[in-house]
Amino acid sequence: MSGLDNIPINVEASAMPFGSGNTGAILAELETSLHELLKSGKEHSIDLRSLPLLPGELDYLRERLGTGEVQVEVNALGPSTVVETAIRGVWWVTHRNTLDNVMAEFLEVSFCPDIIRAQRDDVRESLETLSALMAGDHDS
Amino acid sequence: MSRRPTIAEHLARQGISRRAFLKFCAATASLMALPPGMAPAIAEALGKIRRPSVIWLSFQECTGCTESLTRSHSPTVESLIFDMISLDYHHTLMAASGEAAERAREEAMQEPGYLVLVDGSIPVKDGGIYSAIAGISNLQMLKDTVENAAAVVSIGTCAAYGGIPMANPNPTGAMGVQALMDQGLIARKPVINVPGCPPIPVVITGVLAHYLTFSEIPALDALGRPLNFYGDSIHDRCYRRPFYDQGKFAKTFDDEGARKGWCLFELGCKGPTTHNACATTKWNDGTSFPIESGHGCLGCSEPNFWDAGSFYKALSAPADPLTFAAGAVVAGAAVGVGMSFINRAKKSSAKSAHETATLKDLEK
Repeated sequence: MSGLDNIPINVEASAMPFGSGNTGAILAELETSLHELLKSGKEHSIDLRSLPLLPGELDYLRERLGTGEVQVEVNALGPSTVVETAIRGVWWVTHRNTLDNVMAEFLEVSFCPDIIRAQRDDVRESLETLSALMAGDHDS
Repeated sequence: MSRRPTIAEHLARQGISRRAFLKFCAATASLMALPPGMAPAIAEALGKIRRPSVIWLSFQECTGCTESLTRSHSPTVESLIFDMISLDYHHTLMAASGEAAERAREEAMQEPGYLVLVDGSIPVKDGGIYSAIAGISNLQMLKDTVENAAAVVSIGTCAAYGGIPMANPNPTGAMGVQALMDQGLIARKPVINVPGCPPIPVVITGVLAHYLTFSEIPALDALGRPLNFYGDSIHDRCYRRPFYDQGKFAKTFDDEGARKGWCLFELGCKGPTTHNACATTKWNDGTSFPIESGHGCLGCSEPNFWDAGSFYKALSAPADPLTFAAGAVVAGAAVGVGMSFINRAKKSSAKSAHETATLKDLEK
């Protein structure tokens, strides 16, 4: 966390009653993507940092999508959180670095985000490691 | 080149799992302003390419660009990107000094195909004597170094377009890298301009990551800037844009409109003519950008922004009153002296009475 997090930024809700208009577009994109996921299994992901969102609009989105049943923490190059929203199949993925700063933030539409799955090459290596472990046990 | 390990090998050697690598690629795609679906392509590309050598040359500059880069907001990604390159010469960051430092540059130049990063403009007046490193003029050093380079990345507005050293009256005859190539003063190589005063840290690393990952120059606009970061104007991506469309403008920095966050166009915001990623990428850990902090855009990523008239004059107003009918200026000169006195008096009286000073008062 940097010192900047201690400076609160409050935007008067009355200042922009209609917002930037981007939250509606994001929800519509999610709707289309869920259709697509059911129809063809095609996954989709929205980079939340590439959109001009007003302060407070991320919170609004979070509130609208809610929190679902699954919350996963991945420790790889710093913590990542993968949280299923109340809209099942829509996942809020936040990648942080070792200093806990957000590196990237996505809304992913999939049955299970890739980052949770064990990767094939890693499994292959693990199999070798396990075999070596068992061989060691057998020898002793 | 074959001696250098591929980037994937380099990361694997550091004990980085595939899952972490996947995360790194997703963050890199976001950094490069590419669609998230590009992450697998990035992973594949990084498995093939080898760490290139990079020579960073600093000329007539304030070190602000290096300051910006070293304060990038996501150190993990940046440090990994710096693991991806072999930064062989950077006179602010390198440990070596004096002859050893210059030797490092000469050694790196032995193997053609390196990448040259430049910050700062290059003086050419009077044989380029106004700026030299190790007794070598900036122009000569750039000429020698560019000769065998694969490409040049101009970091910051000074290297890209001349910037503040080139501002009127340009006493040192400062020029940007592309202009030197156009005039045949140095060898012609592919150039990527990354302007800004300074450029956004993640834009610098994003452009480097793009070049390193895909080994090609990204799509550029007419001013040589990567379209994925400089494709939109600040105005088009500005969260205050709806107010512009409704005709709601702040008239001073402390009026009702300013407090309600209305459009800063009339206060001289250069957002409509400026192409950069500030409105989406933002600054300081993604906290905000100048317009979000209540000040108009200065247009620092555009050529000649320093000489483009007042930062506080609205774009539709004449940027430079001197280009107006010259006769009117002469005729108005006597009146002008009187006016500036009046304005100065108004400024001090406004101060003592805590009245609102208008922009006109500030400009006199």
